[in-house]
Amino acid sequence: MNSYLIVASIIFSIGTLGVIIRKNLIVVFMSLELMFNSANLGFVAVSNHLHLISGDIFVIFVIVVAAAEAAIALGIAITFYREKGTIDIDKANELKN
Amino acid sequence: MHNVPSIYGMNLLEKSMLGIIPETVIIIFAFIVLFLTFFGNLAKGKNSYYLSLIGIGFSILYVLMLSGKNIYGFYGSVVFNSFEVFLFIAILFSGLFTVLMSKDYMENSGMPAPEYYSLILFGISAMMFLVSSNNLIMIFLAIEFMSISAYILTGYIKGNTRSTEAALKYFILGAFASAFLLFGSVFIYASTGHLNLYDIHSFLGNISYAGLINKSGGIGIKIYISVGLVLFLVGLAFKMSLFPFHSWTPDAYDGAPTPITSFMATGIKIAAFAIFLRIYSLIYNFNIMNFNDILWLLAVFSMTFGNIAAILSSNIKRLLAYSSIAQAGYILIGVIGGGLYGYSGTLFYLLSYVFTTAGAFAVVVIFENSDLISLDIKRYSGIGYKYPFIAASMSFFLLSFAGIPVTSVFMGKFYVFSSAIKSGYNWLVVIALLNSAFAAFYYIKIIVKMYMPDKEPASSSLNSSSDNLGITHGVIDDGLMITIIICLILTLFMGIFPQIFINFANNSAGSLWRI
Repeated sequence: MNSYLIVASIIFSIGTLGVIIRKNLIVVFMSLELMFNSANLGFVAVSNHLHLISGDIFVIFVIVVAAAEAAIALGIAITFYREKGTIDIDKANELKN
Repeated sequence: MHNVPSIYGMNLLEKSMLGIIPETVIIIFAFIVLFLTFFGNLAKGKNSYYLSLIGIGFSILYVLMLSGKNIYGFYGSVVFNSFEVFLFIAILFSGLFTVLMSKDYMENSGMPAPEYYSLILFGISAMMFLVSSNNLIMIFLAIEFMSISAYILTGYIKGNTRSTEAALKYFILGAFASAFLLFGSVFIYASTGHLNLYDIHSFLGNISYAGLINKSGGIGIKIYISVGLVLFLVGLAFKMSLFPFHSWTPDAYDGAPTPITSFMATGIKIAAFAIFLRIYSLIYNFNIMNFNDILWLLAVFSMTFGNIAAILSSNIKRLLAYSSIAQAGYILIGVIGGGLYGYSGTLFYLLSYVFTTAGAFAVVVIFENSDLISLDIKRYSGIGYKYPFIAASMSFFLLSFAGIPVTSVFMGKFYVFSSAIKSGYNWLVVIALLNSAFAAFYYIKIIVKMYMPDKEPASSSLNSSSDNLGITHGVIDDGLMITIIICLILTLFMGIFPQIFINFANNSAGSLWRI
């Protein structure tokens, strides 16, 4: 179980770094999905190790929620593209003090 | 169903359903409002507005009918007792004020209304589910449900780049926070093998009772659960907008439609604090690591940063956003203070915060709708003479934020700070008091601005000579007026007779430990 959790943590860190560093909106959304799915991997590993079913159930819910989030994310991305003509995250700079 | 005298006559499902009736009523009304869009004529008028109000009213009625019951439904996923009653009422009031504020705003902006109101209702139900959830799956689902409604509502103004940008920033950081929360639950699950909070509580209780947690066998568990709880705390701190995780707050509050800003500032914050209180009281107390020190730092930085940034901002919505970060810091002091006294103080503070914030935002909506006064604080000069009542109520809300006696937030601060002193956090209270004094500066600055004669040349950025003529008093929407009056009365009432509310809060906080 430990090694699975280490792999999950590494994937989670890659996702975190992707969200922080990358400037392309689609890549940021992909990184967010990566973070969610690393948690899924952790849940499946733990629930297999402990011979429990509850972790697997959690994973199904997470997949559903991630799909809903992706729908919202792409909706927002399309609106953003229509208004700015780009999906560069640095162009989201109108709200300032 | 609620008239059944004995709960034992029902089967498990009926008994479980009883605990989620208030949420279910809201969801049913949300769907009715949403289906209005199929019928062109019905959707045009104010039907969705009135239906939403009726739904919230029914839900409040059901909460009051169910109060006093102690329900533990869906195999422990959902809890309903007096803690929930208190917070449901606070959340429903926050939703009620949002809906009341929205009518005028939606009519002025010409946006399609039914989806808007149904999203508000879905958001309210998600917050109520979050408050009553008692299982890591339920917590994650409710947080996501609540956040997704809020993302859509933030970006609701069509063709407005600021609104879209706010939604984008809020979405990325919100989903980021949810991922942290989720990854934290992996580690909690890995160390304990349970998802139900009560099960996790008793598991940790058994381990620490057996003295295992600091011995070789327990070290693995200790590391896992510490990592899990810290990640979980990060996820919740994003939703509570505490200092290092606050960066979405000013942008999202600024770009969102103003009624939604009020909704985010009151409802989401209450729900996040409520679930944090539940988890903190159940899990964080064990001798795993010293979470109070982490919270101490979060509270101090939130207060200080929020107040400094608020002084520097010139936009009223950004100012209130930064002030809400500072208020979150004050509320956290009650959690650090701990015990029945600290938790009931936290609940009292949350309730008083709802009325004060909703009132202040209602005033902002009035001035925004009038189109003559922008969100810039400089434009507020002289309105004290043009609209005496509104300016006076805005002054009262701002004084309440500043913590002047006779207002509700003063009593909230009093309870929260005294609980921290009881637990020996003297320096924390000293810093908080200094911060409150510091914060009074920018609240009073706005009041002074409102009562200063309008010296600025009216021509600069906004057009027109009609600027100084102002709107007539009859224009102000009755929904906004009702909001302001209810908020005024309750802010004053909670300040003068806090005993009634603190008893209620004591009773609610006590039920956190009633497992």
